[in-house]
Amino acid sequence: MSTPAPAVPAPGADTEGVQAAATAVARGTRLPGWFVILWRNRKCRIGILMLAAFVLVAVFAPLIAPYDPRDDAFPTSLGPTADHWLGTTAQGEDVFSQLVVGARTSLVVGLAAGVLSTLIGLVVGLTAGFVGGWVDEVLSFLINLGLVVPALPLMVTLAAYAPVRGLWLIIIVISVTGWAYGARIKRSQIITLRTRDYITAARFAGDRTARIIAREIVPNMTSLIVVGFMGAALGAIGGEAGLAFLGLGDPLTVSWGTMLNQASLGGAMLTGQWAWLIAPGLALSLLITSFTLINFGIDALSNPHLRED
Amino acid sequence: MALLEVDHLSVTYTPRDQPANRAVHDVSFHISEGEFVGLLGESGCGKSTLGNAVLRLLSPPARITGGRVTFDGVDLTTADEEKLRELRWVDLSTVFQSSMNSLNPVIRVHAQFADTFAAHKVPGDVTERATELLELVALDRRVLRAYPHELSGGMKQRVALALALALRPKLVLLDEPTTGLDVVVQRGILTRLAELRRELGFAVLFISHDLGTVLEMADRVMVMYGGEIVEDRRAADMLREPRHPYSRGLLGSYADPRLPDVRVSYIPGRPPDLSRPHTGCLFAARCPHVEDACRTTHPDLLPDRHGLVRCLVAQSDRLPVVTLGSADAATTLGSHFPATGTLDRPADAAEAAPVLTVTGVSKRYTTRRGLRTSSVEAVRDVSFALRPGVVTALVGQSGSGKSTLARIVTAVERPTSGEVRFTGDDGTDVRVDRLRGAALRDYRRHVQMVFQDPFSALNPTRTVAYALSRPLANFAGLRGAAARERAAQLLESVGLAPAGQFLDKLPHQLSGGQRQRVVTARALAPDPRVLIADEPISMLDVSIRAEILELLGDLVRDRRLAMLYITHDLLSARLLADEVLVLNQGVLVERGPTREVIGAARDEYTRLLLDSIPNPFAKAAAG
Repeated sequence: MSTPAPAVPAPGADTEGVQAAATAVARGTRLPGWFVILWRNRKCRIGILMLAAFVLVAVFAPLIAPYDPRDDAFPTSLGPTADHWLGTTAQGEDVFSQLVVGARTSLVVGLAAGVLSTLIGLVVGLTAGFVGGWVDEVLSFLINLGLVVPALPLMVTLAAYAPVRGLWLIIIVISVTGWAYGARIKRSQIITLRTRDYITAARFAGDRTARIIAREIVPNMTSLIVVGFMGAALGAIGGEAGLAFLGLGDPLTVSWGTMLNQASLGGAMLTGQWAWLIAPGLALSLLITSFTLINFGIDALSNPHLRED
Repeated sequence: MALLEVDHLSVTYTPRDQPANRAVHDVSFHISEGEFVGLLGESGCGKSTLGNAVLRLLSPPARITGGRVTFDGVDLTTADEEKLRELRWVDLSTVFQSSMNSLNPVIRVHAQFADTFAAHKVPGDVTERATELLELVALDRRVLRAYPHELSGGMKQRVALALALALRPKLVLLDEPTTGLDVVVQRGILTRLAELRRELGFAVLFISHDLGTVLEMADRVMVMYGGEIVEDRRAADMLREPRHPYSRGLLGSYADPRLPDVRVSYIPGRPPDLSRPHTGCLFAARCPHVEDACRTTHPDLLPDRHGLVRCLVAQSDRLPVVTLGSADAATTLGSHFPATGTLDRPADAAEAAPVLTVTGVSKRYTTRRGLRTSSVEAVRDVSFALRPGVVTALVGQSGSGKSTLARIVTAVERPTSGEVRFTGDDGTDVRVDRLRGAALRDYRRHVQMVFQDPFSALNPTRTVAYALSRPLANFAGLRGAAARERAAQLLESVGLAPAGQFLDKLPHQLSGGQRQRVVTARALAPDPRVLIADEPISMLDVSIRAEILELLGDLVRDRRLAMLYITHDLLSARLLADEVLVLNQGVLVERGPTREVIGAARDEYTRLLLDSIPNPFAKAAAG
């Protein structure tokens, strides 16, 4: 009762106020409230613009790329020229075209593996946290297992021994190794939410458990889920690049990781083709940077205190 | 010169996403050495903001936008951090409402004292000084070796008070120091505080929404409304004749529950929105004595009968005279709520067949830590019955097992022994303590709950219409337009009219009282036979409590509901209930018709509860 009129929620844990605050922010504009909060943060704005640029390149890749990335009819191991802005590979493919088309792979892997591991994390975390008891014990054991098993060696092993090859294998390997952290966070969040009176009230209103989780609890965790997704997507993009660089990627798809792998195999350093080596690495780090910058804004979304500067 | 001088102080909140909000507007007052001043107001009136401004503890988006605070000759508004650091705690210390959480959980109490002494270079033996300080607040020296989590809420608050007094400050700012504590514990702390002030002679600024406590403790009381001080007067004068209609309204919500005829009043309406410009008196919209001039002229805080008042009507001496604490006060004050008690109850109610019978119920909690198991008996051999049209109050302090009983009755938990039976309208008989699955869901159609905290009982992301539609869909099979229409009817039945205004609102757009009405409407949606209300008014502002009590009382009698009203507040039990059960440590110690139990308590524990209620009128009568 002693809170001053414009009550500012305590920093951290509470994600419930976010939705309400977001609706309040959007008053007077047509944009959704969460977007206004993100856009106002300068770092986040830069991140959004960078990511938008990557997405545009990926979507219009066939129009932007001057050649087919698999077309090896060009002279091999060229440096940057007017025809081939970033030179050609040891097989005689256009590096710039590969770079443009490779953006697709990274974004698709990031999106798909991000969604997949967020979903696994959500289901496991929510079930463990809400049901409790022995179900929680078993699921928590699995989560802890997922946390302590070193992800990269496991990814390498899974990718190396899997009977099939392809992009989906990479996506599944990354999701299977990367869901545990998100599950842990969602479990602890739901444990604090499930004791709220409105959950008891929903039971008194005759709602079933599944509906209570989906309609009463999940809306109060939106910001947490988004943060989890961003983290998972980031990890997935890095994971794909790592696997591909190690030669465990899908040899038929063009990605920044396979480009790095081939640049290294093709002796780009020896032939002085710096562009072949640097371009995919730079693109990768810029994409990861854009995600990190967006995360600054998402922090402000889940913690109203950060919005006041 | 006074110890603390606040001069035309204004504080404005300028959040990015909301319009600026002038939480404190042009406030001036002073506190002399050794004076005990109460600052009274309801949530959102700016009293805590004012307290924080005095301590220079405001953080963005709040900013001091005008005026000065002078403490002991030092201008606090311009002093640098180093100067402030020297003053804080040495001369000017504080105990917050959540001070019990301000103790560091990983170090022992002894170390917290040691830190305080070390930070301000106090020589001497820490243990000895700390023991002395703990004795001041009536705590044993063994507390020194305890970690904060090993202490109860009341003990932690006493430690915080001892820490605040550690350096013998000249002024202690107490911001709701006992809110959230049990009545009996609160009584203990306040008594000790009054004694300490007499011994040590420090000045106090006591911020609280609880008028009973403030009037009982303070020499002088300032009432705050809408960011302004509306009345400033000696406590005794305030009790005898408050001059601002708002102070009168607040005082009207108190009464001695032991009197044969108890009436309380409430103030209808809501506090002003401080982010909008206002002309005229801020209280005009809720004032029973409002005149035309009040709507156009903003009153000043002017001298009036040994005090200050900000009211045009009072300044021109046109306020009706009232004697507070008496039956006619409530009627003069406008909206009022007479104690129903046993007055106008249908004669047959007591003989009606019970809907819910609790027989010999006990509940034992077993905790297993390692190999050892320990058990606590929360409820022991409790029996009672709920009848249609009758309110049964279950009173007791926290930890007495009230909430455990509520959980057993609503089948959230099962009793260790004993039985709970529910008799439906059609004569069906249900053993509540054995329900599960579909039968349990079916039982909840008949037994619904009104929660204590209206701020956590509604999902912040769901509209009012959604909250009401769920029980309607699950129990009545109503969906879509039919459910919406029924939801609108429910809202109107709890006094939220026109319902169209409220259906699509989110909880944060409603006031506390409106939320509690929505919670009540949701409980009524399945048309239940039994309503369990667990402290439904304890989180609400004093001025609107009676309003919610009146609503609950009307619902019970109009719909012939059986109600279990759980509370620690005997005044509200007196107002609402027909019969009272007093629970002490899981055992029923006294029961009977409300008037008999409260008017002539036989059990010692009941009397302790009654004596713990802050009662300014008792002081007035005695002195």
